[in-house]
Amino acid sequence: MTAVAEHHPSVVAPRPPKTARDYILKAGWIRAAWMTCLFWGIGLGLVLIFRGWAGWEPLFDWAVITVVATLTAAPIGFLAGLGAFDYWVRYAAGAPTVPEDHSTHGGRNWKDYFRPNTDHKVIGIQYVVTTIFFFVAAGLMAMLFRAELARPGMQFVDNQTFNGLVSVHAALMIFLFVIPAFAGLGNYVIPLMIGAPDMAFPRLNALSFWLLPIAGFMMLLSFLVPGGAFATGWTSYAPLATDQPLGQVFFNMGVQWAGASSIMTALNFLVTIITMRAPGMTFWRMPLLVWANFTTSLLVVIATPFIAGSQFFVMFDRVMHTNFFNAAEGGYVLGYQHIFWFYSHPAVYIMMLPGFGIASEVISTMARKPIFGYRLMALSLMAILVLGFSVWAHHMFVAGVAPWLRIPMMVTSMIIAVPTGIKVFSWLATVWEGRIHFNTPMLFALGFVSMFVIGGLSGIYLAAVPIDIHVSDTYFVVAHIHYVLFGGSLFTIFAGIYYWFPKMTGRMYNERLGRIHFWLTFIGFNVTFFPMHWVGLQGMPRRVADYAPEFGNWNFVISIASFGLGASTVVFLYNMIVSWRRGPIAPGNPWRALTLEWQVSSPPPVFNFDEVPQVVGSPYEYGTRGARHAVLNGKPTETGKAPEPLEVMHH
Amino acid sequence: MRRGSILQLVGLGVLFGGLATLVAVLIPWLPPVASKQRDRIDFVFWFTTGICIAVFALVAAVIAYSLLKFRVQPDDDSDGPPIHGHTGVEIVWTAVPAILVTAISVVSSIVLVQNENVPKNHLDVAVTARQFAWTFTYPDQDGLTSAQLRLPVDRTVKLHLRALDVIHSFWVPEFGQKQDAVPGQDTTLVITPTKVGTYPVICTELCGLGHALMRTSAIVMQPAAFQTWLRDQKNAAAAPPAEAGKAVFTSNGCASCHTLEDAGATGTAGPDLDKLPAYAKQAGKPLEDFVRESIVDPNAYVQSGYPKNVMPAFATLPKDQLDSLVDYLVKSSTGGGS
Repeated sequence: MTAVAEHHPSVVAPRPPKTARDYILKAGWIRAAWMTCLFWGIGLGLVLIFRGWAGWEPLFDWAVITVVATLTAAPIGFLAGLGAFDYWVRYAAGAPTVPEDHSTHGGRNWKDYFRPNTDHKVIGIQYVVTTIFFFVAAGLMAMLFRAELARPGMQFVDNQTFNGLVSVHAALMIFLFVIPAFAGLGNYVIPLMIGAPDMAFPRLNALSFWLLPIAGFMMLLSFLVPGGAFATGWTSYAPLATDQPLGQVFFNMGVQWAGASSIMTALNFLVTIITMRAPGMTFWRMPLLVWANFTTSLLVVIATPFIAGSQFFVMFDRVMHTNFFNAAEGGYVLGYQHIFWFYSHPAVYIMMLPGFGIASEVISTMARKPIFGYRLMALSLMAILVLGFSVWAHHMFVAGVAPWLRIPMMVTSMIIAVPTGIKVFSWLATVWEGRIHFNTPMLFALGFVSMFVIGGLSGIYLAAVPIDIHVSDTYFVVAHIHYVLFGGSLFTIFAGIYYWFPKMTGRMYNERLGRIHFWLTFIGFNVTFFPMHWVGLQGMPRRVADYAPEFGNWNFVISIASFGLGASTVVFLYNMIVSWRRGPIAPGNPWRALTLEWQVSSPPPVFNFDEVPQVVGSPYEYGTRGARHAVLNGKPTETGKAPEPLEVMHH
Repeated sequence: MRRGSILQLVGLGVLFGGLATLVAVLIPWLPPVASKQRDRIDFVFWFTTGICIAVFALVAAVIAYSLLKFRVQPDDDSDGPPIHGHTGVEIVWTAVPAILVTAISVVSSIVLVQNENVPKNHLDVAVTARQFAWTFTYPDQDGLTSAQLRLPVDRTVKLHLRALDVIHSFWVPEFGQKQDAVPGQDTTLVITPTKVGTYPVICTELCGLGHALMRTSAIVMQPAAFQTWLRDQKNAAAAPPAEAGKAVFTSNGCASCHTLEDAGATGTAGPDLDKLPAYAKQAGKPLEDFVRESIVDPNAYVQSGYPKNVMPAFATLPKDQLDSLVDYLVKSSTGGGS
């Protein structure tokens, strides 16, 4: 990370020594600490003034104070203290600003990773490390409730804690791990892949990252609130959610912060991809990862406001005594589910399409072959985007929706299997006759394809209305969602982290440990989640701390396997930490890949490219001698090689 | 592709397809069937499974074949053949899955329509769901209520579901039918039991702290036995107050959360009702008033060690039933019993 000074000496002025006054008033953690308190006080004051003025009793209504002061004002104070708004505040106040001020840009030392940083590469790493923290936290919660579920009856936790653990586990995994982990990898890679110096809106990018820890700690800290953490599942159905203990609003508001972060990043991706592609990088020359994030960003921008709305409605029912979902006062209970799933089904694709992109990059590079049917691969992403908005009621086949809605929604849900199938078959055709290097990223990518096929097929059962009526809200659904989100999303996240680890850190990971990690995960995953299909079909509902004794043996097996699965993560963390500190120095292009991010040093220079690359061809020209993707610094980038005859094919 | 490699690929496909078929057939994946609807659901299940096994075998065979045949040494830096696509193949793998999922959709639609068909001579039962108990009412039998669902065999029943507080969901795995009970909305579910027996009724929608305990039984009886049961129940309702109180206790599902020795109730989610006199002393109220208040307005005094807002208020209980329930609880907890 010394590359900053070498490439752009002019942008880094020596900093004057700081005085005590500076420490308190300049952007940073000290200012963040006192501004958090100050804004909390302002929030409290606002509530008291309005309640006092209106004469409402009690004056100190802690539900309202929690929402306004703790969950809204204090985080804004934290962000302001950290300096996320400094530039805009100065600009709005008419103070002099330096548009080309790069003092907040780049990672020179570890401290640069703990402040709002405008370098997409720093932000990418901030995202990935933060999301892994929440992944581990949510994983530990899963271990805890699996311990409770190992035997029928109640052993370790009470019902409230159990429901809280299940709910926070899911909420963290979805909103603080899978979605932002993809945003982090995309953040790091997309500008490099399209030949851009950074994202279109670097300060917005910095802000969108810092919203994330706020959302995460909000959800974690809900365990400390009287009454316990939110305990209504990540789906948080009304009206149950409207009269739960106070922890529930930590979910309602946590989703707002995570959702805002998601929307800002998606807008940034869209503008970056549309306006900042290098010369010659037409849409049909973009790597599929860029296509995937383009599609995902459209989904995020269109759908995420719906979950924000649904959570606001639930919170308003509690705090402002509105009646959106209060049937006794004319509220419409199913309205919640319609709005919620109008986001949360597309969210499944938000959690999957970037993984499709990663799989495409890894499979093509490691099989040394062009992506089979590149255009159909891109078009199938767009087909999923459009169809994804027409299937939400398949989560509601037993919910009491209008009966006529079910068959049309079943048909669209079935049809969405077609573009998904196209992608799977295209990956298989890409691998076919390739020269496959079975290293860790490739193992995870192929592991993803095989597990995702199982998850996709169990999805067909759930789309078929009569079967869904039997298995809805059972462990069959738990098995399905984990085959899709663990076997699907998480495997691609691991593939992506191993694949780009050399680029991000400048060091190689340990291949042997990587493979051990893969096999432990692959086996542990299947032993944990495959039996859940059986348990669910036989009659075990989900989200229960206690269950019928006949499911005891399989639950015991599942729990033991899940502990093994948890242990496999230790291998991953050890490999990442040790390799980051002491791994062998990585070359610029260890995989001999053709896409642009591999044509610069590892890690890349602070503004990515010394000279704007000129894109001249497809990103996947493996097997064609001399065919190249781009010209960089007047030199051709890595080129394809003509295949040598493969011996096995000829006898 | 050479003929030999095609044969090897087909061999792998047959191997994986065979293994998957064995897993599908040898393991009893579905619980016993006890309704006509489940029979039809099982048909869709196996129809879909057949198609899924074929797709799985294809994918597994290609991956396994690639693993065996196309892997290279790490120092081999040659590329594969520059194949960018094949329009014919791409059309095939778009069209074939589309046809398969259409077939599943058609079969599912037909079964769905059949499963919701209600014959004229059906039985109506009103299902009331509340935290955390089920109540079943037979409108044709002067509103007879029961905490268990009793049904005559081979006669279609139409359940009319209502929820008093939050969303619940009615499911009997052996019947295969499931339906949410939604506040402010009436939903229905059709079941034709085909086998005499006792089956679990399970709430499958997270409804609060007692969700896992919100269970009861569906008892399918011979028509004659069902008629006898109806008659006995009507007689019991007209019995002396103590027994009537016990009937109210049972039919409102109190036993799912509370312990009461006299009624054979062993629930542990809520306070132990055999200790009511002690609780009343702690609350500083006369026993009878305390019991009545706790039923109508449970949050007025919550015994320490138990969470607030869990027990639903039974303020809608008819006056005579409430009186006999209070009477019964006072007597049985002070050792009087019935």
